[in-house]
Amino acid sequence: MGLLSDPEYGSVKWVRVLKRVHGPLCFLCYLGALVWFFMLGNKEFNNETYFSENALLPGLVTNEFNGEHSAKQFYNEFMQELEDKYNDVEEIPVPWLVGKMSQLHLEVYTHNFTLNYPLGQGQVYKGTNVYGILRAPRTSSLEALVVSAPFRALESHQKGTGAGIALMLAFAKFARPQKYWAKDIIFLITEHEQLGMQAWLEAYHGLHNDAETFHTSLGSFWKPGIPSLDLSSFMPGFEWAGGDYKKCLDPGTLKGRSGSIQAAINLEFDTPKIKYIEVKIEGLNGQLPNLDLVNLVHKLCVKSGIHHSFRNSYSWIRGRNKMDDWMNGFWTMFDMVVSQIDGVPDGNHGLFHRFGIEAVTLEGRGPADAAGPAPRAHSLSTANFYRLGVALEAILRSLNNLLERFHQSYFFYLLAATNRFISIGQYMPSLCLLCVAMLIRALSLWVSIQQDGDEETDKQDTKTKSPKIDKDSDSEVPGDEKVEEVKPRRKSVKDDSSMSVVNIGANYLLVHLIGYAVMNSPIILSQIGARYNKPSEVSVYYGLIAVSIVLTIVTPFLPRVLRKGRITYEELSLVNILLLIELSTVCLSVGMQNFPLGLAIAVVYTPLALMCSVVVKGGGKGRALYLFFRRVLCLLVHPLLAVSLCMILFSRVLFPEEGILDMISRGSDAAMQATMFSIVDSMIYGNWLFNLTTAVILPIWILFWQILTIKVEAP
Amino acid sequence: MEAIRKLFFCSILITVFRCVYCDDFKEEIFLKPLPPTHLYGYFQFVTLVNSETSSFHSHLAPRSLTEVISRFQVEELHLTLTEGQWRHHQWGYPVLDAAPGAELYAWFSPDVLDVDTQWKKLSSTLSGLFCASLNFIDNFNTVTPQMALWPMGAVKSGQNVTSQLRYASLPREIVCTENLTPWKKLLPCESSRGFSSLLNSRMIHNTNYHSIGVHVRKICKSNDCSETQLEIKQTVALVYDYDIINSNDWSFRKLFGQGLPGACPLSSESKIYIDVTSNDTQAYTLTPPPDSVIVSQRGGSDTKLAVYNIKADGQMINIGAKHNSKRDLPVSVPPPLHFNRYILGYGKEFGGIVTELTNNCWTSINVVVLENAPWWLPIQLSSLRVNGEAESSLVLSQYYSPGRSRQKPYHLELLIKLPPRSTTTVTIDFEFVFLKWQEYPPDANHGFYVGSALISANLPTARNYTSLPIGGTTFDSIVNASKQWYPIVFRTNGAMVSLPTPDFSMPYNVICLACTVVALAFGPLHNICTKELVLKPLGTPVSLTQKLFNLFKKKKD
Repeated sequence: MGLLSDPEYGSVKWVRVLKRVHGPLCFLCYLGALVWFFMLGNKEFNNETYFSENALLPGLVTNEFNGEHSAKQFYNEFMQELEDKYNDVEEIPVPWLVGKMSQLHLEVYTHNFTLNYPLGQGQVYKGTNVYGILRAPRTSSLEALVVSAPFRALESHQKGTGAGIALMLAFAKFARPQKYWAKDIIFLITEHEQLGMQAWLEAYHGLHNDAETFHTSLGSFWKPGIPSLDLSSFMPGFEWAGGDYKKCLDPGTLKGRSGSIQAAINLEFDTPKIKYIEVKIEGLNGQLPNLDLVNLVHKLCVKSGIHHSFRNSYSWIRGRNKMDDWMNGFWTMFDMVVSQIDGVPDGNHGLFHRFGIEAVTLEGRGPADAAGPAPRAHSLSTANFYRLGVALEAILRSLNNLLERFHQSYFFYLLAATNRFISIGQYMPSLCLLCVAMLIRALSLWVSIQQDGDEETDKQDTKTKSPKIDKDSDSEVPGDEKVEEVKPRRKSVKDDSSMSVVNIGANYLLVHLIGYAVMNSPIILSQIGARYNKPSEVSVYYGLIAVSIVLTIVTPFLPRVLRKGRITYEELSLVNILLLIELSTVCLSVGMQNFPLGLAIAVVYTPLALMCSVVVKGGGKGRALYLFFRRVLCLLVHPLLAVSLCMILFSRVLFPEEGILDMISRGSDAAMQATMFSIVDSMIYGNWLFNLTTAVILPIWILFWQILTIKVEAP
Repeated sequence: MEAIRKLFFCSILITVFRCVYCDDFKEEIFLKPLPPTHLYGYFQFVTLVNSETSSFHSHLAPRSLTEVISRFQVEELHLTLTEGQWRHHQWGYPVLDAAPGAELYAWFSPDVLDVDTQWKKLSSTLSGLFCASLNFIDNFNTVTPQMALWPMGAVKSGQNVTSQLRYASLPREIVCTENLTPWKKLLPCESSRGFSSLLNSRMIHNTNYHSIGVHVRKICKSNDCSETQLEIKQTVALVYDYDIINSNDWSFRKLFGQGLPGACPLSSESKIYIDVTSNDTQAYTLTPPPDSVIVSQRGGSDTKLAVYNIKADGQMINIGAKHNSKRDLPVSVPPPLHFNRYILGYGKEFGGIVTELTNNCWTSINVVVLENAPWWLPIQLSSLRVNGEAESSLVLSQYYSPGRSRQKPYHLELLIKLPPRSTTTVTIDFEFVFLKWQEYPPDANHGFYVGSALISANLPTARNYTSLPIGGTTFDSIVNASKQWYPIVFRTNGAMVSLPTPDFSMPYNVICLACTVVALAFGPLHNICTKELVLKPLGTPVSLTQKLFNLFKKKKD
């Protein structure tokens, strides 16, 4: 602060240099960040994976799995059962599963859950999970491992999981008579994909549905009976139908439990005749499992003779040269980053992470998979139940060795190949550079308004005063200088009221409140839509568009409403500085949790942030053109518009043969679905994306828009 | 001379006769199949000591133990060392329940004034006797149960028993051979003869559940209870899993690795009881056939017991059961009262402990639940909820003693009336606390053990009930022993929480860094201290390397 409040600093060398070079410097930072990110794919910039936890002892045991025959039998029986009895209903065959599991002498339980769909006309979905617990001998059930498989009906458009369930049962049959288990193993079959898994996990950890939304239930399950905000008391005329939307997922209760879950393996195998295993790791809000677990799975796949892959990186393909490796590494990493931005887990494993449980999904893929063809997959040898079983046994026995929870190795990383990773220390610089660019910009703005302010005071004050201040501040300790700094500013406020922190603050607060209101609007919008019998996705999407348009038009006038006179250059500059600081802080803090999301926000908003400056009245044609360009850019990065445009472009990529209008309608449909999914995800699973966008990014965008649309007098 | 010798022999004979009369040793095995897949084996070795005062002249009773009892003026002592968890819901009730890990509780004589010191001494002594870490018992993990535990032995009327009681459990204790060997040494025949020769540690540590225990109490010698006897009961409980031993048919050879080499010659009674009630639904034949089959009617449930009288003739006996058909799928009958305990929530801020009690019975049951939370798991009475209600009418009485950091555990006791056919949930919340860095155990990320809760109940029915009646010493006493109430003390399963744990690799990194710095600093210091600076006169001839070196030097300047 000593530097910033030094009245003489206007003439200090670094200030002058900063003023001159901040433009190119920021641009360099931005460029540097992108280059750095690009370089991360290179072998010189990432590391080979290694085991940090020695207790895992991977692959040290002799595999004994002998359940190939029983796995085949389970598979055939299961498919037969589905075809015979569940051909036209999308139900989980509870009696069959319970029967089979009890024959294996597991402790079998069923778990019922209910979803009251939060938007729309109060639809209710019910589901059942089946799980069996293998109690480890000689332990008191303090720790557990989970092997899970989602159940998918025959007519589901997704790949089935019959082989996964059969493999799980065969493994349970093999594991039950073994005496070496030190942790219970829970065999879990969930219904309705992630919904069932979320319900089971919430029930296992004793979360109740009377604890409002998932966000607030994080800590409030221990405080039942907190009076919640009753909206209907404010607006009795409006019918808040389905006012208990907060209890959308009722996880029900579990009858049987084991101890704290240490790790989970989710199996998605359609048929035993797969070519390779895709290891899926991305979880909710971009959370990842411990690198040791991911590494363990890859290494044991190698040992069991199963081909495995992670996104663009395939275990059976090695690059011919460095460039190939680099590009492959980059695309693997880039793919991972892109899929993590939305924070939606790519498998049931992703929901475990927030409960502090490390989990991965093993997905079996054939040569012609829906996820895209893998190179030379046809020529690979086909896996069978024996190899899959051996791999599963090896993984679980290795996890069984684990003495402590996963706490070593990395929790924040990117993968550039199945065996190469980029740690948080290596990828953060690219995000930091982006934020540094914004902070430099903020500093340069601060320096310039300070100097302008000083010049103003110099003009108004008598010349005798200013040397006195200089002298004082030279002699005094830095702590006292703050007082000196406030004095001239207060004077200037008194003189011409060019700077009112209260006015700016009110505007700032109001904009953020608007964001908060928009975050909570989908329920209201869908209820309004329901009055006119519109489906909730339509009403919410178009409602949000309407809200955005209104905000775009109205918000530039907000500062004028809040204060009497016209807004001044200094005030708007101060808003700009605060805005830059807020944006960079948000990017950094989001990036700490979910690096891809933070990076995406930073990459999209940094150019706007660097170009955005207070618009001064007057100026030539060139300046007007530049202003127009900035305003268009600002409109383009409006969250809703950006999503819609992305979807339209994406549909263009997917269906290049369609006309412009078809493309737009398809794209907007996709955007509508995406918006709806993000809202529902945020309500059921606690996905941040929608909340972050509306409560933080939208206010920031509004402030940008205000700065770019309000013209002020030159200082 | 001859007369003196005769007298001497006579006196020896009389002494031997008297001592045999005063000390009595009995051994028993109780086997019960627990459908569908488990087998319960319970051994008990009872020594009755007549003269409680002369602990120094023992015949059959282990002197090391009786000395401890008399030295520390212990009225009653219960010590169990257990590995595994008794699953009440599936297996019914054991004869004596035990908490996972080590559990010790004792009543001291009313003469003992400083119970805490005596308790500490007792636990330390027992720790040496049984090679268990009982010396970790201290004030911070000891409670004095107010309602949950009552003495099993004879107590003088009007005596305040509660204040003389101390209870502690060590859930992290791992029980193994090293505890079994000293335990076997206390038996009169040790492990050479008798039933204890079956306790082969290689076999019994492969079971699903094993628990060894020592229970010492005072029992009445006669009906008017004018004199008391010391009863030392050593027990072993084992649960075998048919899946792990690979067949439904069991035999002693399969279970213990060898046959039974007859009874202990010092025992007055050696009997094997096998619960053959399930034979009706799941037919099996016992070989060799039992000596007799007793039908016992107790509290509305019929039990058939096959009895073998074993003689000390040194003949190998291999009792076994062979199932007639393998296709049976037996269903277990749930016991009248079962329970479940688990930890709520996730994260490192708040959590809760839930105890679920299910009463399957047609009538209400009164139970006492004792929650004993260590000091690092502060449970708050204000957050206590019974079935979600803060003020529940089900709670008849409650006792709470808040813990103190590093000094005293949290102790909560509730007397609850469980309505018929219902599930009652007792929830209490806690906050996670930070420990000092030296207080973390090795493998800190493994988690911290929360001990079991005690549940003491008076059951109205004897379904699944196998315990001996309170006055009984041997298994004959359960025959037709109908009472109004069947008292029993259960231990729920324990739980594990992971407290916020620092990154312990950090000190390691610091050490590495410090070592590097020292190593780097050492070189120059060593150079300065050992080498001499020599002034070089100008104009001396320079070597070629020196010239090159100088070239670089100039450029830098």
